[in-house]
Amino acid sequence: MSSVLVLNLVWQVGTLALIALGLAIVFGQLRIMNMAHGEFVMIGAYAPVITAALGLPGWLQLPVCVITVGAVALLIERTVIRHLYGRMFDSLLATWGISILLREAVELIFGRGYQSVAVPVPGTLYLLGADYPAYRVVVIAGIAAGFAALAWWNARSKVAGRIKAMVGNPDLARAIGINTGRLSAASFVFGCTTAGLAGLILAPTVRIEPMMGLDYLIRSFFALVVGGLGSLEGLGLGTAIIAGTQSLFGAALSQTHGYLAVLFISILFLWLKPNGIRSSSR
Amino acid sequence: MSGLLAIDTLTGGYHDTNVVFDVSVQVAPGQVLGLFGRNGVGKTTLARLVQGGLRPATGDIRLGGRSVTGLAAYERRALGLGYMPQTGMVFDDMSVRDNLYLGENRCPPDAYFDRFPRLAERLDQKAGSMSGGERKILAFVRTMIEDTGLLVLDEPSEGVQPENIDHMADCLKERARDGAGIILIEQNMTFLTQVADSYLGLDAGRVCLRGDAGEVTDGQIKAALAI
Repeated sequence: MSSVLVLNLVWQVGTLALIALGLAIVFGQLRIMNMAHGEFVMIGAYAPVITAALGLPGWLQLPVCVITVGAVALLIERTVIRHLYGRMFDSLLATWGISILLREAVELIFGRGYQSVAVPVPGTLYLLGADYPAYRVVVIAGIAAGFAALAWWNARSKVAGRIKAMVGNPDLARAIGINTGRLSAASFVFGCTTAGLAGLILAPTVRIEPMMGLDYLIRSFFALVVGGLGSLEGLGLGTAIIAGTQSLFGAALSQTHGYLAVLFISILFLWLKPNGIRSSSR
Repeated sequence: MSGLLAIDTLTGGYHDTNVVFDVSVQVAPGQVLGLFGRNGVGKTTLARLVQGGLRPATGDIRLGGRSVTGLAAYERRALGLGYMPQTGMVFDDMSVRDNLYLGENRCPPDAYFDRFPRLAERLDQKAGSMSGGERKILAFVRTMIEDTGLLVLDEPSEGVQPENIDHMADCLKERARDGAGIILIEQNMTFLTQVADSYLGLDAGRVCLRGDAGEVTDGQIKAALAI
C-alpha cells in the first residue's frame, strides 16, 4: 500500500469522524435523528463563500462558519427541535423537511452551480516517503488534537457529566438542578457546529453545492451503525471501517464498488450486531 | 407556623387525569411531615407536583414565600428544594462517586460514610450494578448532602436493611434540627413515626387525616391505611 493511499485513508477517516461526531451527539445524546446534518456540513462549506461575499478577510472564515452554522442550528432548535426531544420518528420527518428548506435557501442565495475556494495552506510536505498536500496534513493534525481534547474533556469535565446524567435519567437530572433544556440546546448547536466545521475543512477539497450534504449524512449514519452510539472509541472504529472500506475499494476498483462495500458492511452490522461495535449500555 | 413550603388547594396529576385533589398543607423549617397512605392514593404524584416534575391543574405552591408553581424542577432545586424519587433515584450508568458529586451546591459526602460505609467502599462501582437497597442509600445520601432548605423523600427506606433505616432516621432528624423542612413519604410506619413530627394522610388523592404527632393516634393512622 502506497504512503499516499495511507495518508488519504487517514484524511478520509479524520474528516468523516468529525462529521459523524455531530450526528453521534445529536442522535446518541438527544435521540434526534437529524436528517439535516449534511446540510450543516454544506453551510459550513459555504462559509468561505459567505466570507468573500461580505468582503471580509480570509482569516475570518472560521468565526463566520461557527456563527452562521451556530445561529441556524440555534434557530432550528428553538423553533422545531425542542418540541421533538425523545420523539425519534417525528424528529426524522421534521429534520428531513428542514434539510430541504436549507438546501433551497442556499440555492436561492448562491445559485445551483458549483463553488470552489482556494486552499488556505498551499504546497506539499514530504511525509512517509511521498509529497502530500500540506493543508491535509495540518487538518489531520488538527482533528487528532481536537479529538484528544474532546476525550480529555469527556472524561474530566463537569458539563460532560451533566450531559451523561441528562441522557441517562432526565427527570433526576432536572431534580438535582440541571437545566436540561439549555443543555440539550447547547448539545444540538455543538453537534451541528462540528458538522459545519467539517464542511469548512472540506471546502477547499470538494465541489461546494447545495446538494453536497447528502453523501456525508449517509456515510456518517453508516459509521454510527458500525461503531455504535455512546463512545468516542465506537465513533473512531466506525469511521475507520466505513472510510477505510470506501477508500480501499474505491482505489482498487471504483467509487461505486466503494459505496457497495460500505452498504454491504452496514447491512451486515444491522443484521448481526445492531448496536454496533462499541455501544454504551443504553 | 411560618411556612417554608405552602401548598394551597393543589389539584393535579398526569396529562388530563388528576390524581390529587385540593391538597393544602404547610411545612415549616425544622418540621418533618410524614406523608402516608395506601398504594395509589397520590403520594408520589403530590411529591412530583411539589418538586416540579408534574405541573398542577390548579392551586399554588410557594417556597419561602415565593410562588414556584410555574417553575421547572431545576429552578425549584436552585431555590432550595431537594428531591429523592421513589424510582429512578440514581444515575445507573454513572459511578457512585459521580452520582454524589454531580449536582450543584452540595457538601462533601464524607460525613455520611461513617454511617453508610458501603458507599465509601464502592465509589468507583456503577450505581446500576448495586442492589436496590444500596441504590436507595446512595440516593438518600445524595439528597442529604445537597444544600437545600426543603427535602422531599419518596420512600427512602424501601429495601434498606433495618440498621441503615435507623441511620437514615438519625440523618433526617439532624437535618431537621439544622432547620430543614422535610416531607417524608413512607409505607414503613415504624420509620415514619420515628422521624415525623406531623402527619398528612391521603386517600383517593384527598387529605383524609392531618395533625401533629401528639394529636394523631395509631388507630387513626391504621384507619387511614385501612389496616
